[in-house]
Amino acid sequence: MKRLWPNSLVGQLLLVVALILLLAQGINSFLLYRGAQNQNLVEASTSAVARIVYGFERPASDRAAPRRTGKRSRRWGQLKYSPESAVGDDMRRLPELEARAGQAFANMGIGFSDIRATSIRDLTTDMTGYVIGANRGEWRNDPINRSMGGDQSTPETKGFVIISAQLANGQWVSIASAVRERTPLLVRTLLFQTFTIYLLMLIPLILLGRYISRPLKSLTARAQSFQPGTTETLEEQGPPDTRELIRAFNDMSGRVTRMIEEKDVMLGAIGHDLRTPLAALRVRVESVEDEAERERMVAGIEDMNSMLEDILSLARLGRSTEQSDPVDIRSLIETVVDEFTDLGHEVRYQRGDKQIAAVRETLVRRALRNLIGNATLYGKAADISVEKSGSSLLIHVDDDGPGIPEEKIAAMFEPFLRGDASRNRATGGSGLGLTLARAIARDHGGDIILKNRENGGLRATLILPVG
Amino acid sequence: MTNKTHILLVDDEASLREPLAEYLIKQGYKVQQASDASVARSLLNAYDFDIILLDIMMPGEDGLSLCRFVTDKTEIPVIFISAKTEETERIIGLELGADDYITKPFSPRELVARIKVVLRRADKGVTSHNGSTGGAYQFSGWTLKCDKRSLIDADGVNISLSTGEYQMLLALVSRAGKVLNRDQLLDITQGREAHAFDRAVDNQISRLRRKIESDPKNPEIIKTVWGGGYVLAGEVKSL
Repeated sequence: MKRLWPNSLVGQLLLVVALILLLAQGINSFLLYRGAQNQNLVEASTSAVARIVYGFERPASDRAAPRRTGKRSRRWGQLKYSPESAVGDDMRRLPELEARAGQAFANMGIGFSDIRATSIRDLTTDMTGYVIGANRGEWRNDPINRSMGGDQSTPETKGFVIISAQLANGQWVSIASAVRERTPLLVRTLLFQTFTIYLLMLIPLILLGRYISRPLKSLTARAQSFQPGTTETLEEQGPPDTRELIRAFNDMSGRVTRMIEEKDVMLGAIGHDLRTPLAALRVRVESVEDEAERERMVAGIEDMNSMLEDILSLARLGRSTEQSDPVDIRSLIETVVDEFTDLGHEVRYQRGDKQIAAVRETLVRRALRNLIGNATLYGKAADISVEKSGSSLLIHVDDDGPGIPEEKIAAMFEPFLRGDASRNRATGGSGLGLTLARAIARDHGGDIILKNRENGGLRATLILPVG
Repeated sequence: MTNKTHILLVDDEASLREPLAEYLIKQGYKVQQASDASVARSLLNAYDFDIILLDIMMPGEDGLSLCRFVTDKTEIPVIFISAKTEETERIIGLELGADDYITKPFSPRELVARIKVVLRRADKGVTSHNGSTGGAYQFSGWTLKCDKRSLIDADGVNISLSTGEYQMLLALVSRAGKVLNRDQLLDITQGREAHAFDRAVDNQISRLRRKIESDPKNPEIIKTVWGGGYVLAGEVKSL
């Protein structure tokens, strides 16, 4: 069922309208059917009433001694006189028909002490012969029907109405009248009608749906590809609600852009205003006599500076002025690996096949540098390997360190959280390394995954999309 | 007249300028301070300087504009001191003819080392930027773009180079066919590691070969000259 449910607004609209239409048509047909059935009963009872009235307008002989045969009587059916009503006490009575019949008798000046009416499906034996209506032609001409004289139910006859009236002397006069089906309402008709109406509604519905959904689609596309800084606004189109939404979206993107511009200005100011006193401090530190003390101060300043760098890069990400270029990832890895080997770290990388990815080189270098930096910080050596998987390039950085408890892996990407809870400054790093690396990877449409290796140590994987 | 190196230090931030001047004086330099470009200009008229340390962001006339004036009118080398770390800033500074670029905060020792390198190169008359800036060279199917400091192969794919590798390659490419010994390469490429050794040159060369030679063991592009140094073989087209 879920599979059949359309995803688009237009599709859902069309389906819902079709279902509602079908339901409405169904209810409508049911009501029509009920009305028609009632009408059939009324018609049948009218004949019965007329027959009774006719009988009472005729000479008393007709009443007193009804002839069993006779062309006319036979055709019209005979009135049945009996001490008991043909409509038994246990039968479902039709008050509406009784009222109508009473009215008709009163109009003709015939008074009955009681009138009963009912409808039955099959003719009871005691009423056989006291029937009018039915399919006269067929009934009369059908040799079987005539010879049998029994089954008065023909295909067109849908039950009978019996009218029974009590005379002043307590006797009952009764007559049955065949109910004829005049309005055969078939499911096919219903479906055909529904389908016709639906076809007529289809084109305006599709047009309406597109009118509504097209501006929504372009709004969705714009929201997905939203880049702060674009001053271009989306054209207001569609119904008023949608226009208002688009206007609100345009306003919002304007506010976001202004906010980010303010942030950039602020960052630039922070960068400049913090670096200058830091530089002054760095110069003054040189006059500290105690060498060990001086080294510690220098390390502190460098830490502050690298943290500042990381914060600024993180904040600036996504607004990079550097553009993506196809880069041979092997050379990129080598460049970063060389930086580490120059500092005496053991970082191994075996140049493999040429792998090209469109990247912002300085950013990806930085992400990789952070990953390898972590590996050399927590382990003794790092191994870099590259793997192509589908449309992604996986750069694995494996270390031989202690790894990370599984439950803490997700938290590793939180800013200012480092593997060692002590936050020991001696281990260095700003605590932004992984956060920044992942932000860079995601900015490229990739990601970073941390996983403990089976043989111990951690595997950090930088995923970059290719092609 | 002393033969002390005379430095003009231009920075609007007294908190940095003063201790830095003090430090440089302690290191045996003669230092004049200027708090903005106009003071710097008048000092330039009054004295002969060997080198200028110039802050980029200053109120009034900025460092870039002053640098343009200095490199146009004089032969005095310039080292930029900037609080901006973006690569574009750095490239603009170097394109204007500055000889080096150092970002705040910096180690004063490293600054002194760089001052020495720049002065040594100025003495030897080695131009820092190999003549053309913003141009490009083509050699053996490779393109070396100076404006973006990028090396591109025949398929248009960028090859990542470290700063040292780039400078080494640029030195060789811009002097194609000329044999350069290790000392010359060190002078030209300066680099951050002011105390680089011969070994560092060999190391850079072997890394470069790994990246650009089809068979690094039998190099076709960067050839070793026995007892001499290195030379870039093949034809180079300057764009």
